[in-house]
Amino acid sequence: MSSPPPPTLDDEISALQSKITTLKSTIALQTSTLLTAPSTLSLLSSDPKLTSQSHLHTSHLQQTLYRICATLTLFRARDPDPNAVDSGSILGLRIEVVSRGKFLRPYYVLFNRPWTPSSFSSSLPPAQKKWLRVHRHTVPACIPLAGLAARYLPAPDKDKKGRKQDLGKFARGVRREVVRYHARLGTVADLRKAAGLGRRGGNGNGNGIGLVDISPADAEVRHISVEWEDGRTGRLVIGDDGEVLKVVVVGENGRDREGAKDLLGGLGCQPGTVKVEEVVKRLANLGSGA
Amino acid sequence: MSRISVPTTARLPSSSRVNPSSPIVTKTLGRLSRSSLISVALDWLDEDNLSLATPYLRPDQEDDDDEDDGDFYPPASSPKELREEYLSLQTRKGSKREILDRIITGDWRHGVSLYQLAIADLQYLYDHPTSQKWTAYKIVPLKSPTEDGNGEVQPPEIDKTSLCIPRFHPSLFLKSLQAQILPDIKAHYNLDRHKTLPLLILRIFVVDSPYNTPLSLSSSAGNIDTGSKTILIAFPDGSPTIFISKPTSTGPAGASESKSLRALLVEGIPKALSLPRQRVTLQSTSLTTRNLEELLERRGGTRGNAAGGGWSIYADEKVKESPLSTVLPSPPLSDAAEEEVEGNGDKKRKRLTVEERVTKRARLVAQARFGETGRVGDGKGVERVDLVMEDVFKRVGSTGNNTDKMDIDGEDEGDVDNSEHWRPSVRLTFHGSHVFAGIRQLVECGIIDGESMPGWMTGEEGVTIGAVRNGRIRGHKGAGL
Repeated sequence: MSSPPPPTLDDEISALQSKITTLKSTIALQTSTLLTAPSTLSLLSSDPKLTSQSHLHTSHLQQTLYRICATLTLFRARDPDPNAVDSGSILGLRIEVVSRGKFLRPYYVLFNRPWTPSSFSSSLPPAQKKWLRVHRHTVPACIPLAGLAARYLPAPDKDKKGRKQDLGKFARGVRREVVRYHARLGTVADLRKAAGLGRRGGNGNGNGIGLVDISPADAEVRHISVEWEDGRTGRLVIGDDGEVLKVVVVGENGRDREGAKDLLGGLGCQPGTVKVEEVVKRLANLGSGA
Repeated sequence: MSRISVPTTARLPSSSRVNPSSPIVTKTLGRLSRSSLISVALDWLDEDNLSLATPYLRPDQEDDDDEDDGDFYPPASSPKELREEYLSLQTRKGSKREILDRIITGDWRHGVSLYQLAIADLQYLYDHPTSQKWTAYKIVPLKSPTEDGNGEVQPPEIDKTSLCIPRFHPSLFLKSLQAQILPDIKAHYNLDRHKTLPLLILRIFVVDSPYNTPLSLSSSAGNIDTGSKTILIAFPDGSPTIFISKPTSTGPAGASESKSLRALLVEGIPKALSLPRQRVTLQSTSLTTRNLEELLERRGGTRGNAAGGGWSIYADEKVKESPLSTVLPSPPLSDAAEEEVEGNGDKKRKRLTVEERVTKRARLVAQARFGETGRVGDGKGVERVDLVMEDVFKRVGSTGNNTDKMDIDGEDEGDVDNSEHWRPSVRLTFHGSHVFAGIRQLVECGIIDGESMPGWMTGEEGVTIGAVRNGRIRGHKGAGL
C-alpha cells in the first residue's frame, strides 16, 4: 500500500504564500468595496485620511465605469524627456477591446502638442497651436493609424484654412478598426474550433470535415486561407462587417466552384450575403454530425 | 535537360544541380559546423524534400561488387539507408571535413541542387543569427499616378490618408518579382518560415547568365563570392514591413556589381508587392541592425512598434488592467508596486544610507526612462547607432564624442536662443553589443543623470540613424507615423 508522499516544507511554504496573495487581493477588494459604498461615506466624514482614500477609490470606480461603458477614455501623462515639446504634456487615449468575453489590455494612443511654443510657429493662428499630433501608440501595425491621423488630425498648414482636427472622429475610427481586427481574429479562432483544428501549429484530426488548416493569410486578417486534406486550397475574403466578400477554392483541376458553394453551405455565392459566423456555425454542425 | 542552351525568362528551378566541386558549394557548406551539416543532410533526405535533393544512389540492377571497390563512399541503395547512416554519424564523433567530403564526393557527387544550397544557407543563418545586417522598410501605399497639364504622367506620391494595409501573397509576389528582374540574370527563390521567429524568409540567389543550364550555373556561380549573390528578405507576420539583408562580405571587385544587383532587386520589390490599382513603395524606417528580434519588436506585429523606452509600460501585455477590477491600482514605480514585483512583502524597512538611497533612485529613474527595454540579457539590442547633432551651440558645456561614456547633461533645454546660431557639426556613434542596455547601465550606476538625459538616449524612437535637433530626433520616423 502506498501513501502519497508527505508534503515537504517547500510545498507548505508555497501553499501558504499563495494563500497570502489570495488573502491580500481579498483585502484590497473588500477595502475598495467598503470605501466606495454610500453607507460608509457618511460614517467616514470625521477622518480626513479615510475620506481622502475613499475619494481616490470613488474616482477610480468612476474611471472604470467610463472605461467599461464608453470604451474610449482620455487621461493625462507626462513625457519624461527633458526636451519634450510643450513641456512634456501628453494626452492619452485609452481604447478598450473586448475579445472572447474578456477585456484585453487596452490600446493606447498618446498625443502631444508640438505647435504650442511661439518661436516655431508664430505665424500659425492661435487655434492651430493647440493641435494634437500622435506621439506614441501601442496600436498594432496592421491598423491604419497613420492614415486615420492624416485624415482627422492633420498638421497645421497656413495655406489651407478650412481644415480642422477632430479627435472624436479619429478615436472612433481607430476603435472601429481595432474592434474589427479583433473580431476577425476571433472568427478565425472560431473557424478553427468549429473545424476541429487544434491550436496553431498543432495538427488537428480534421473532425471528419476534411479540413487541415485555417489561418489568416494577411496582416489585417481580412483574408483567411483554408486547406483541405485532398490538397484543395481556398480563400475567404471578409469584409468590414464580417460578411464573406469573396470565396475561391482551387483544386488540382483548377477552380472548384462546387467546393466553394459547399463551404458556404449552399447559402449562395453572392458576395456579401453570407456572414462568416454562419460559416462557423455550418462547420460546427458538420463536425458534430460527422 | 535540354542539349541546346536557350535563354529563358523563367526562374531557376529548385532541382537544378550545381557541380559539387564549384566554389559556391564548398563555401556554402564549408562554413557550417559538423552538427549543422548533418542536420542539413537529414533535412535534405526528408520525405518531403527528397524530390529536390535526390542523393546519388546505387542503381538497382547493378552488381554489388562491380564498381564500388575504388569508391571511398559507396552509394547507398535507398534514401532510408542513407538517412540511418547520417543518424549514426550524428552520434559518432568526428571531424567536419569527413561529413563535407561525404556530401560532396559521395552522396551528392552528381550535384547539389539549388534547393539544398538554400537550406544550407538558412541553416547558417540559424547558427549565426547575427550574420546578416537587416534594414527595415515600411510598405506604404501610393496614390494613383496623375497627369499634369502637358499630359505627362507624374510619379505617384505617397498616399498618406490611405486606410489600406498592403498585403503580401508569397507566390504572387515571386511571380511578379521574376517579371521585374531583367532577363539576362537568373534567380532562384526559396521561401521558408523561420524556425523560431514569426518571419517568412525569402532567399534570392542570383546567377549572371541568361541560361538556366547546369553549365552556366556552375561557371557563373564559381567566380564571385557568395555574399554578394544572395539576398535575404524577411516578411514579418502581421506587419506591413519588410526586412532586407545587406551583403556583408563584398570584396573590392564585386562591390559595385553586387550593389547594382541589389539595387535592382530592391527596386523590383515594391513593384512586385503592388497589386492592380494599388501601388506601394518602400520607405526607409532608419533602422538597421543585425538583431532580428529587435527588428520584430520595433517593426513587427506587436504593440511595441511606436512605444519604446519608458513608453513600453503601455505596451506590456503582461500587465493586467481590466476595467472590471475595482481594486485601486498602485502607480508604477511606487513602493507597493515594487513589493508586488519582489513577491514577499518584507515589511521591515531598513533605514537606507545616503548612498543606498542614491543608487535606488538611479535605478528607479532608469526604470522610468527605459521601462522594460534596454536590459542586458533581453537579446533585443542594436549594435550601432549613428546620430548627427544639429543643435545650436549655446554655451561652453561638456560635449563628449565617440564614446559610450558621454556626459551631455549640459544640453540646452527648451527653445532656441537667438543670440548665436553656430551649429557645430557633431556626430555621435554608439557601438556595442547592446547600445541602449549600456546607456541604461550607466544611468543605473549614476554616471549619466537619468532625469536630464535626452529622450533619444533611451532608444525610444527605434531608429539607428537620425538627426537630433532641439534635443529630439527629427522626423519621428520611428513613431510609426
